[in-house]
Amino acid sequence: MEILVCIKQVPDDSVEINLNSSTGKPNLEGVTQIVNAFDTYALEMATRLKEKVGGEITVVSIGDESVKNSLKNCLAVGGDRAFLVKDDSESLDPKSVSKFLIKAKEDIEANLGKKFDIIFCGKEATDYALGQVGLLVADELSLPVVTNVVDIETEGESAKIRQETEDGYNILEASLPCVVTVQKPNYEPRYPTIKTKMAARKKTIDELQPAEKPENTVEVVRVFEPVKRSAGVKIKTETAEEAVEQAIKLMTEAKVF
Amino acid sequence: MKLTDTKNIMVYVETADKAPVNCALEALGKASEIASSRGEEVIAVLIGKDLERATDLSIQAGADKVIIVDRDCNQVEAYRSILLEVIKKYKPSVVMAGATPLGKDLTPVLAMRFESGCAVDVIDIKITDDKFVMTCPVYGGTVLNDIVIKESPIVMTIRSGAFSKVIDSSRKGEIIKEDISVPESTLLTKVLEAVKEIGEQVNLEEAEVIVSGGRGMGSKENFELVKKLADVCGGVVGATRPAIEDEWVPRSHQVGQSGKIVSPKLYIACGISGATQHLSGMVGSEYIVAINKDEDAPIFDVADVGIVGDAIKVVPLLIEEIKKIKAM
Repeated sequence: MEILVCIKQVPDDSVEINLNSSTGKPNLEGVTQIVNAFDTYALEMATRLKEKVGGEITVVSIGDESVKNSLKNCLAVGGDRAFLVKDDSESLDPKSVSKFLIKAKEDIEANLGKKFDIIFCGKEATDYALGQVGLLVADELSLPVVTNVVDIETEGESAKIRQETEDGYNILEASLPCVVTVQKPNYEPRYPTIKTKMAARKKTIDELQPAEKPENTVEVVRVFEPVKRSAGVKIKTETAEEAVEQAIKLMTEAKVF
Repeated sequence: MKLTDTKNIMVYVETADKAPVNCALEALGKASEIASSRGEEVIAVLIGKDLERATDLSIQAGADKVIIVDRDCNQVEAYRSILLEVIKKYKPSVVMAGATPLGKDLTPVLAMRFESGCAVDVIDIKITDDKFVMTCPVYGGTVLNDIVIKESPIVMTIRSGAFSKVIDSSRKGEIIKEDISVPESTLLTKVLEAVKEIGEQVNLEEAEVIVSGGRGMGSKENFELVKKLADVCGGVVGATRPAIEDEWVPRSHQVGQSGKIVSPKLYIACGISGATQHLSGMVGSEYIVAINKDEDAPIFDVADVGIVGDAIKVVPLLIEEIKKIKAM
């Protein structure tokens, strides 16, 4: 099984990002760059599949030199090789990302002399949460795509895919090659060991040329912060009874009930 | 394929159990407001079987025309190819869908096919200099982007709760039946099984009262207190990711960035410290009550009433007091 996992480096999503009022842009200073959480689930799912059926995992990303660090982290937890599409743009729209990934896929396939059977993406990135790239890559390549995937099995030329839905799940069948976008499954991504980390450090990450950037149809005209809620009354009393009494009084005054 | 000479706003009205999903009706309301200011029409598209009630509701919620495609579909590709045909024929300048999993699966590709772009999770729309300016949350809603899309149709998904639903039973609309076939070649996946998990339906997006519990509830047994409080308040149960991961309550109850975005009238957060991912899902609530041991917890920055205390002790007392109020 030849697997391609597409990852995005994003600012740590456990840190609250606010606007830098002097630049008018999100303030990312000092925020660690990490692999998008949903992409780490995708890589873990791909790795489990590889462990079951054999094969290799190629990890690809787009960005500047710093992304190589994220790619090395992926090599320590299941990736066999990694490529970076070198692009220094501050951000790319989903259409450009999908074009870049398609060209990268074709370049890597030519380089390896093999075709990918499954392309894994996270269901969305934690920064912009657009969730479009996997769908656009699949559409452009006329491949089947399943979103919100929490489990995958393969048998011969097809995959059986479990998709989370609002009220349960679907089991879908798709022929290979296909694209899946991964939701959080019932397990956590594995941690690297010292050994896998050392081995990953030694590997080189090859750079790929980006595709021609398509015309941008989406333009951000203003970046701003939502009106902040102001903190209301904080009740700190000796006993829970007193606190509840005060809280109920406030709620009644506010006509909550 | 570029679309030229476009006008009117098209809304794909997704249905669940033959009824329109709420955010589609909310989208129709906003679409109707914008269309009437521009002298345009709102065209609702319904795909499925037995959609009389959904058709009526779509008209009452703002549709001037309803296009019905009477076809049983269970694949995203089928919906997509039907919508592609409808868009080609009716040439709307804007296409809206609810920001549901299906809406989010359909819209990016529709936009791409017409060489346009797609705005996701739109929470506000303004018309400035005849341009649609859409507000979309980024970084978990701590930052907002105003975006414009330069090509037609402008495609977007509307976040649930962003706009209000207006049902006017006196509204009239035209019903058009379209017979559109789905080419076999477009169906690339096959649904082998569609399972509705047993358990109560949780409709967090439409709930007026939500009582949520987090890690501070301590155990599955203690989490029962959250359910009791929700019962007493006539609300539904929400939860944070840690509570879901510890299997105190099923996944469908999750509020937050990777769960549901909610905007009830009352939100009670029990034993929730307020991680960014959770706050972004509930900060749109009208009135927030928070109970947490840690007085520096970020949840208190957004709460109208914050009780510094152990939720395990506070919640039972709240239940008793609220029972008294409700009995009055």
